[in-house]
Formats: sequence, C-alpha cells, structure tokens
Amino acid sequence: MLKLSIKKMIAVSGVALLAACASTGQHTDSAEDPFESINRPIFEFNYQADKYVIKPVAKGYRAITTPFVRERVSSVLSNLQEPVSAGNLLLQGEPVAMTKSLGRFVLNSTLGLAGMFDVAEGWGLPKREATFNETFAKWCIPQGPYLVLPLIGPSTPRAATGLALEFVFDPVYWGTYNDANVHDKASWGLAAVYGITAREQALDLLDDLERNSVDYYTTLRSAYLQNQSKLRCYRDKSEETAAYDFDFGFEEEGEAFDEMDQ
Amino acid sequence: MKKLFAGSLLGMLLLFSGSANAEIDAAKAEAFVKEVTTEGIEQIINANIPQAEKDARFAKLFNKALDLDFIGQFVLGRNWRTATPAQREEFIKVYRQLNISTWSKRFDEFKGREFIFKGTSPSNSAGQVFVNSVVPMDQGEPAKVVWRVREKGGQYKIVDIIIENVSLAITARNEYTAFIKNNPGGVDALIANLKTKIK
Repeated sequence: MLKLSIKKMIAVSGVALLAACASTGQHTDSAEDPFESINRPIFEFNYQADKYVIKPVAKGYRAITTPFVRERVSSVLSNLQEPVSAGNLLLQGEPVAMTKSLGRFVLNSTLGLAGMFDVAEGWGLPKREATFNETFAKWCIPQGPYLVLPLIGPSTPRAATGLALEFVFDPVYWGTYNDANVHDKASWGLAAVYGITAREQALDLLDDLERNSVDYYTTLRSAYLQNQSKLRCYRDKSEETAAYDFDFGFEEEGEAFDEMDQ
Repeated sequence: MKKLFAGSLLGMLLLFSGSANAEIDAAKAEAFVKEVTTEGIEQIINANIPQAEKDARFAKLFNKALDLDFIGQFVLGRNWRTATPAQREEFIKVYRQLNISTWSKRFDEFKGREFIFKGTSPSNSAGQVFVNSVVPMDQGEPAKVVWRVREKGGQYKIVDIIIENVSLAITARNEYTAFIKNNPGGVDALIANLKTKIK
C-alpha cells in the first residue's frame, strides 16, 4: 500500500516536472508564485503542524541528546546520502568526484563506524554533496513555479522530483526492498528521522526569521527562491553575482524600481 | 580579421570593466570588511565584557559599517516614493533599531568562527563591489557570505549581506512590499508592526 503511494508520489512529481519544462521564459517575482492562493493555505497547515507536532518533537530531540550525539546522528544520515551524491556527481559529468564520493562511503561506513565519524575527510576526501535537484539544474531543466508541499515545505516541481528520487535511491530503501516487513517502516522511519534532525538544526534560524518577519510566508519564499538561484545551468556563463547584483535604482526613481516589486 | 575583431572586443571589455571599477577600490573595500569583521569578533564576541556593553559596542559598529539610510530606501521599494517625509524618517529609524537588536543577538552565534576572505567580484552598479568570504562550518561545506560595499565620498559602507545567495535587502524588500500590499494601513501599519518586534 505504502509502496504504491511512493510510486504515485513520483508519478505526480514527474508530471509536475514536465509541466515545469513546458513553461518558458524568465520569471519575475510574482510569476514565480502563480499558486500563491493554494500555497498559502498549505503553508498555514504546515505552520500549525510544525507548531504543535514537528517543532516540539525537534525540541525534545534536542533536549534528550548532547551536541556530540546529534553530530553522530547527522553524520550517519549524511553518510547514507553519499551513494546518491556519487550517482549525481556522475550524472553531472564528474567521474573523479564520484569516485571520491564512493571512496568516502566505503571508508566512513566501515572505519567510520557506519558513518558516525567522517574519517575520509581527514584522509583528503572532503564531503561534496550532490542532489538530483542540482543535477537537473545543471542540465538546464527549469525549476518551475514555487510550491509549498504538505509537511515538506518550500519546494519547486524540480526540487520535489529530486527529493522523491533521493528517497528511493537511499541505501536503506533499496537495501530493505526484498524484506516487505521492514521495508516501509525503515524507509518512512528514516524519512521521519531526516525531517526531525533537519528541523532541530533549523530551530534557532527559523525562530529568528519568524520573530522578525512581518509576512513569514513571503520571507521564506523569497529566501528559498534566492537560495535556489545558486543552482545553475552548465551553459549559464553569466557572473555568479548576477543573482543578487540588483540595481538599487531608487536614485533615478526609474523603471528598474518597479520591475523588482511584486 | 577574426583576430582583430577579438582583439578590439577584448579591448572594449577591458575598457568597460576598467571604467566600472574605477569608482571603487576593490582592495580597500575588502580591507574595510575585514576590519569590520575583525573588530566585531575581537572587540565584541570574544571580549570579556557585560552584555550591555557588548550591545552598545555592536550598535556603534553597526552604524559605522552599514549604510542604513541607503538600504532602508531600497527595502521600502516603490512605497518609498509615496511615503511622506515623516514616514520615511520613522521607517529608517525603526528599521535601524530592529536590525541592531536582531543582529546583536545573532552575532554571538559566530563565536569560535572566522571569515576567510576570497577576493572581490565587480558589480554592475557604479561605485559598488562584492567582497566574497566563506565561514567554515562544523559539518559539511562552508557557508558563503558576500558583502556588498558602496563607496561614497571616500567612505566605505556595507549596503547588503548575501548569505548562501540570499540577499538580506531583497528578502526584506519582498517581505515589506507584500505586507503593505495586503495591509490597508500601508507604511504606517508596517512601522507599527516592526516596532512590536524591537525589544
């Protein structure tokens, strides 16, 4: 049953990705959120779910663990993502980086005690994370419109597709695939642990952002989309600064002024 | 012929970038940001002084380093034009206070961290340059922090900070523009709301 829903999830995001590919042209800020009227209610649902369930669990996790323990947990999780990074580095045409990533996985899974310690870094193999979203971006696939996903939060069709693929390419997912008893429990359980650790790491930052924001939805959307702009198409030869080298423009009080507003 | 064309193109490019850069000394801008961050880390974060003294020092450094009059205008967006002089003045004042109180709290998270400077990148805006830096993290890749510096009358000021591609000025502008659009109270409502956030 659950397996079916995973398939469904991928199918849906696949369609969404195709829709994103079909849409063309440069987006202005408002065009990037054509689904705001749908996104806002989902955001509100997520906000309540976070306030009453996710955030308290993340705070509880912080309360019962020491920073050392949390670092070991996130290190194990990060090691489990290494094969996905390796695959994506290959898809991005970086075979050397892929080999290093696989080397990291082997070293850290064994000598690093199932990934608890990053021994590979000390041996000159620093971590280099690569995601499907990054690969698709490099292949010049547009990200599509801004989406707020239930429980997951800010996303785009491209990022959501990447996330679904990362879910099924996770070693825990394919490692337990033939054991129906543990398969669903293990993969969804792992997804939940990923979620809680990520939320714990973001506790202070998000509290701070929310406290200082007069429109939290817009703040998160703006920050998310700007952050995504660092994923670039391989053909894109514009300056890296282009994403944030806006024209302050108010001295002329010209047209540049209105372009940036929503 | 082709070579000649390429040569003249290169010449034009050099000329262009030369003129764009002529107005701001990138090395001086970088030295300025280094000085500000060093002062912040040594004289405030690592200093063994009471919190009140830290806050006072931070406010002073903040006002010296950042051009809030400049940033505030941008952040209010098109609403700056329609705002009355009293609203403008009040907004800048509140925006300044909010940023000082927010950042003096956030600043302590930098304890034990350092900025590693990575040179500068040109800006399309005259008299401005980006100073690149990274902050090593406990786990994973270092965070990218870019400082946008503007020179005016020989004085250097930070006008934007870009963390992992997220510009603080653009984020605030989007947020405030959306708030004013959805709020019948307009700029006055925004000022009132921001005031509730200053502690």
